[in-house]
Amino acid sequence: MTVQQLFLLSIFLYVVGALISLGLNRDGKIANYVSGTTAFLAGCTGVASAVPVLIEGKGFILEGMEFIPFGRFTINVDPLSAFMTLVISLLSIATGIYSISYQEEYIGKGTGVMGFLNNIFIASMILVVTIDNAFYFLVFWELMTLVSYFLVCFEQENREAIKAGFVYFVMAHVGTVLIMISFILFYVYTGTFDFAAFRNANLSPVTKNLAFLLAFLGFGVKAGIVPFHFWLPQAHPAAPSNVSALMSGVMIKTAIYGIIRVGVDFLGASAWWWGLTVLAFGAISAVFGVLYAVSENDLKRLLAYSSIENVGIILMGVGAGMMGIATGQVSVGILGILAGLYHLINHAVFKGLLFLGAGSVVYRLHTRNMEEMGGLARYMPWTGLTFFIGALSISALPPLNGFVSKWFTYHTLFAASTKGSALIRMAFPLAAVALALTGALTSLCFVKAYGVTFTGPFRGGNELKIKEVPVTMLIGMGLLAIGCFVLGLGAPIGVGYIANVASALLHVSSPQLSDGLSIFPESSEQAMLSTPLVLVFVVGLAILPLLIIGTGGKRAGRRVDFEPWACGYKYSSRMAWTSTAFAHSLYPLFSPVYLLRTAFTEAGRFTILLFKKAMAYISQIELMWERYIYYPLLHFMVYIGKRAQTFQTGNVRMYCLYIILTLGVLLIATVR
Amino acid sequence: MLDGKLFFVGLLQALLVMAVAPFFSGFARVLRAKIHSRKGPSIFQDYRDIFKLIKRQRVVPAQSSLIFCLTPYVMMATILLIAMMTPILTLQSPLRMVGDLIAIVYLFALGRFFFAAAGLDSGSGFAGIGASREMTLAALVEPTIILVLFVMGLLAGSTDIGVISQKVATGEISYYSPTVWLAMTAFSIAAFIETGKLPFDLAEAEQEIQEGPLTEYSGGSLALLKWSLSMKQVVVIALFMAIFFPFGNAAVVSGFSILKSTAVFLLKVAIFYVIAALVENSMARLRLFMAHEVTWAAFGFALLSFVFFLVNV
Repeated sequence: MTVQQLFLLSIFLYVVGALISLGLNRDGKIANYVSGTTAFLAGCTGVASAVPVLIEGKGFILEGMEFIPFGRFTINVDPLSAFMTLVISLLSIATGIYSISYQEEYIGKGTGVMGFLNNIFIASMILVVTIDNAFYFLVFWELMTLVSYFLVCFEQENREAIKAGFVYFVMAHVGTVLIMISFILFYVYTGTFDFAAFRNANLSPVTKNLAFLLAFLGFGVKAGIVPFHFWLPQAHPAAPSNVSALMSGVMIKTAIYGIIRVGVDFLGASAWWWGLTVLAFGAISAVFGVLYAVSENDLKRLLAYSSIENVGIILMGVGAGMMGIATGQVSVGILGILAGLYHLINHAVFKGLLFLGAGSVVYRLHTRNMEEMGGLARYMPWTGLTFFIGALSISALPPLNGFVSKWFTYHTLFAASTKGSALIRMAFPLAAVALALTGALTSLCFVKAYGVTFTGPFRGGNELKIKEVPVTMLIGMGLLAIGCFVLGLGAPIGVGYIANVASALLHVSSPQLSDGLSIFPESSEQAMLSTPLVLVFVVGLAILPLLIIGTGGKRAGRRVDFEPWACGYKYSSRMAWTSTAFAHSLYPLFSPVYLLRTAFTEAGRFTILLFKKAMAYISQIELMWERYIYYPLLHFMVYIGKRAQTFQTGNVRMYCLYIILTLGVLLIATVR
Repeated sequence: MLDGKLFFVGLLQALLVMAVAPFFSGFARVLRAKIHSRKGPSIFQDYRDIFKLIKRQRVVPAQSSLIFCLTPYVMMATILLIAMMTPILTLQSPLRMVGDLIAIVYLFALGRFFFAAAGLDSGSGFAGIGASREMTLAALVEPTIILVLFVMGLLAGSTDIGVISQKVATGEISYYSPTVWLAMTAFSIAAFIETGKLPFDLAEAEQEIQEGPLTEYSGGSLALLKWSLSMKQVVVIALFMAIFFPFGNAAVVSGFSILKSTAVFLLKVAIFYVIAALVENSMARLRLFMAHEVTWAAFGFALLSFVFFLVNV
């Protein structure tokens, strides 16, 4: 089969699976199997159609029928689209297989509908990243938003989910409007909605800036960059975990795709400050995202906040790349886009894995509160192991995949700060500092997430019920855990292909970035990294301590003691360090960020002293952005609405007057 | 790819660090005793401790899982790898194809991650406190380290630690600039914090929280961890020396030059330990919530150094 056929087959499988699943809604179990299996198979065919494009570096175009006069239905899979298709399909494989057992939780609550929404969601994402027409792009973008909205508030009895869904719905549409205006600007200049024409659009510099900023902010809302992030930690955790994995893993990446498509592909990153803007938003998102993630006790919310952070890291790479392109440093441009895209696929894999792991925990414990967990690795060893691999990857620890992309991001920033104006040379090393802070805090965050959840004593109620999750869920997580290793250790091979995507975007030939087992930025003189060798050496050098223990310690042996020492008191699981306590040492150090979280004390100090419960609740809410940005905005909108109501008098004669006035205005306008 | 000769130098470095680390921690104990006007233990006491511990039974709490058992090995292996990657005896990194400075920073983070996770895994409250502090301190120190490395990297035009070493040793990166001095100050504070010496002895504070994540370790595992921690001190100092004082390191690999640079290296580390002992014993332990004032100062130095670099003084 050709790649075109494979691609169409993939979409076809999603849609057919969705429809059958919907038809079988009564029989939840079969619907589960159908939707899960089709998502899995469709993911496999999607990968099969994307990989040849990436290897050969040659895309394909599919022309559809012309349903409406102004929109040609064209699918254009260039290397960037193929790369995105690959990412989405990979996650579809894992979540498809995972959902077969996971969705059994929802039997009787409409699993068929859920399968339907899930498959349509994935299909719409693939179409978003491959469509070559602005009109249909917006149609599929909207479809993606709507379907994911339904998935977010799937648990109808959960009021929090309904509220989260509403916030998501509103924010997503604010973003869509901005994107729409940006596309209309292009339309005004080109007279068509085809992306092909957008590429050659001859926009005036001011319009270019406007189109870029609108698109960046519009997509930024969807990506969850910091001033617009607050919907994300509400909406992502509210959805079922397999959907959370898709939303955090790939949906926010479609927004990154949009930024690259518009900023780099259409507009050619023409001004240097675009890159700096993206970089600044990225750095702020990264630092704030991880600071909020650290202080979170809800496992899925923690992961959602960490997605904001990772979007920030991706944008730092992309921003540096855009700056490089604008100032004519092609190698920096390629390196930046490469770093961004590499982190994009890495984040999809490990965040997907972590969300699925969190889903497995929720599946067994029915709580997301980390304080009620602990020691789960003893009851769910495979879930624990895969989650640990995910935690290592996301903390950017060598030799796993997260480190490779972070390493490239550092080197992009390094390369970008060697040349250019003083502002550029100042901004990029400072961004590297933000990246370092982010990295250290991410480590802290995931030591906490893994440590409090999976190690130590169990802090909940009855621990005997907990057992390992069904095997399909383990396979889903296992595939992604293997992905973490493959993307990390396979970096010397993978880097070349992702660099091809970046260089195809810039229409230049791809530079050599790997040699044998090592990868390097720009040239091997600058720095080298070899993840396979890191693994070999760490494992190899571990022989030394093993020998030491082997010779001396064998005879002494090893004894499992009942409980840790507690200064002579009776040990209790409540003595173990908790999630809140683990992050608490950060509060005084970063007090400006956390100020409002802990100081929201309208209840009064005395009340809090009396009601510990209330205090616990208060320390969980984060109000900084809502309080200073969104509530004033909301009040303003309501105020405008109230003012506008004065026109709505309820008097028919007044309405007639309005009609006549409008008519008059229109007449004058046309006659003139 | 792998240069055979250099590879053996790397192995030699790892073994050297392993061999001398307990000596230097013993040395620190002796120095402290002298400053306290005590007689103090023998300088070889730490070797005896380690050998004794290896022969003891390992007791593992029932709450713990795999991470607890793996950590001593991972810790030691990462430190050994860093010892192989740092130019300790030569002017070039023996394993430059394995990673650069950024990789070294993140290898430290790998060990730290396991160390802290093992602390939580043991289920002990003290270990949890230690784990939390360990990670918090890292968050405070790492930005400074990265900024200093960026400045030095930009001066050298490479983040390869060997290149930086060479350029400093040959005088291409001149000492006569405030950039280098300020970077050195910032990095020395950061290195001092990383060694976990007294004012910053927060994570493994012996008297306060029973050595933090080490609380539940015993027997061979404890020996390995203690050994690794003392090796970490030496490696951090070696990293500092490699960037700012690479003088005396062998430019060409030969038997004699290696011997000579070994002696120079031991001398340099000893000097650092003497200075550190003076600082350590003239101060009380910081409270954790005060630590950020010092790290801010370090970051301030790094930032100043960066500003001087920008204006090209």
